[in-house]
Amino acid sequence: MWNDLRVAIFLVYKAITRGNKYTLILTILVTTLAFINIIFTSSIMNGAISKAYQQAQENYVSNIVILPAVDEKYVTQVQQIKTKINTLPGVVSCSSRYAQSGVIRYDPEKDNQDVREKAWNIKSINPDEEVKVTSLQNYMVAGRYLEENDRNQIIMGKEIAGGYGASFQISSLKGAPVGDEVTIAYGNGVKRDYKIKGIYNTYFPLADLSVFVTEKEMESVLGIHNRASEVLIKTDGSVPERVYIDRLRMMGIEKEQINVWMDFIGYISGLTQTFDIIKGIVTTIGLLVAGITIFIVIFIATINRRRQIGILKAIGMKERIIVMSYVFQAAFYASLGIIAGEIIIHAFLIPYFIQNPLPMPIGLVSLVLVRQDMIFGIVSMIVVSMVSGFIPSWMVTRQNIIKAIWG
Amino acid sequence: MEALKDVDLIIEEGEFVGIMGPSGSGKSTLLHMLALLDDPTAGKITVDGIDVLALSSIQKTSFRLHKLGYVFQEYALLPELNALENVYLPLMMLGAPAKDYEKVALEMMETVGLGKRAKHLVSQMSGGEQQRVAIARALVNHSKILFADEPCANLDTRNTEIVMKLLRQLCDEREQTIIMVTHEPEHRQYADRILWIKDGAMDREEKCGQ
Repeated sequence: MWNDLRVAIFLVYKAITRGNKYTLILTILVTTLAFINIIFTSSIMNGAISKAYQQAQENYVSNIVILPAVDEKYVTQVQQIKTKINTLPGVVSCSSRYAQSGVIRYDPEKDNQDVREKAWNIKSINPDEEVKVTSLQNYMVAGRYLEENDRNQIIMGKEIAGGYGASFQISSLKGAPVGDEVTIAYGNGVKRDYKIKGIYNTYFPLADLSVFVTEKEMESVLGIHNRASEVLIKTDGSVPERVYIDRLRMMGIEKEQINVWMDFIGYISGLTQTFDIIKGIVTTIGLLVAGITIFIVIFIATINRRRQIGILKAIGMKERIIVMSYVFQAAFYASLGIIAGEIIIHAFLIPYFIQNPLPMPIGLVSLVLVRQDMIFGIVSMIVVSMVSGFIPSWMVTRQNIIKAIWG
Repeated sequence: MEALKDVDLIIEEGEFVGIMGPSGSGKSTLLHMLALLDDPTAGKITVDGIDVLALSSIQKTSFRLHKLGYVFQEYALLPELNALENVYLPLMMLGAPAKDYEKVALEMMETVGLGKRAKHLVSQMSGGEQQRVAIARALVNHSKILFADEPCANLDTRNTEIVMKLLRQLCDEREQTIIMVTHEPEHRQYADRILWIKDGAMDREEKCGQ
């Protein structure tokens, strides 16, 4: 068996080093493109899924959210709770928010001719705390982020303000610019005017459909203090978020509802499941196309060497050595294609898509390589090419020697 | 349609036998069957007392490697290998160590007069040289029988003479059994005996008296 292997490797080495260089280059090019096709498609899907999750954590609800107990409207003793939470190992920071329904009224010309109104959930933030748990301050496309003592100022996502490529332009304020005033009629009857201080665009609709005032402003609207509609907690990712639920309960947060970010992304979660299915289908089709392409290239190359296979049989070479040599040769082509594909992906495609991410409804998406997908792609390519080397060489070796030599 | 019928012949060890006959008479078919490259529908072939047609496909492959050598009309060398590599390939297949098979193959190259051309690719060699490489490959495993199917069909007069003299020399000096198909009447002078085939059957036998 070892001798058979030695002879097969000898034939492969000679065929590759002294064979037709153009055929070699063409075959490697085909396997390279096939490999990139498989990896690129799954990487885009992974990028979209990963971006959705990242957006939810960075710009929407952070990692963990504490909500009031089922029969309560607010989380009480918030300062004490936050102090406790911040002592928990793995917690980066936490921030409390109020939420109150209201109707935003925007009259651009202040002449009651073109009034735009939108009912929405108005939230409050403590800007100094919030910047430690979300990243909205990094996505301001106009104006500035809130400061702790701002009282008559408001920031809003592009989906509320309108413009900036908003997906829901029709139901937005249709282009309210920074500096213009809006009036909010809160659900509790309080009515206040605010100047738009800033507009942000995270490209994540759930985050861009929010309006924020400062915590101090909201407490004056609601007439309450040291409470919250939700407490956001950012963790360092060292352990899964759900682990903190037990830890928070042990700290005395017993009645409040504790959720992780995944519980808040609703349709995004469904979307990622759909992406997973699409990824599976596209990868399978890509693999089939790659397999068939590689098969054709190697099949033709092998069939063209039918006479040589006949000669090898005539001089007494075992069929299994001949088949082995073609299988190894195909695996070698696939390996070079994979290496070339890896180089192209890492040296060109990933840097390119980091510089030029694809705009998708969930944000700007770059390629994300997942180890399992990579391993799957590599193994599949090698298996497919080995089968592509096996079938034609096995078919030819089964032929009558004279027929193989003379056709 | 029967390619061969009622062919009955005995070839002695060390004999140089030529098979001649008109085109389509069945010369090559007979040679293919004797060399185990093709299977007859009926009959029996015995080599050294072994009924070779009763062997399995794998056994026939092994028998070809160990006992037979074959020289094709069109050289049938592997273009990716140089002359020496083509010659030592059967020895590699037999499991010989690298230093041994290179030495033996080189000696065989010298026997066929190509010692200095051993490292050349076959594409860099003339037709006559390639055919001599093919002969060296066919003999390197000390084959009992060397089969040659019109080995000079593509060679010029000078190379034909070189190859035919080489075959005769192998027969004389190494007692190599040679069975050669040829359509050239002048090749009769190199053979011990000529078997004439006509319409797939033995027509006559001619002693050449070398």
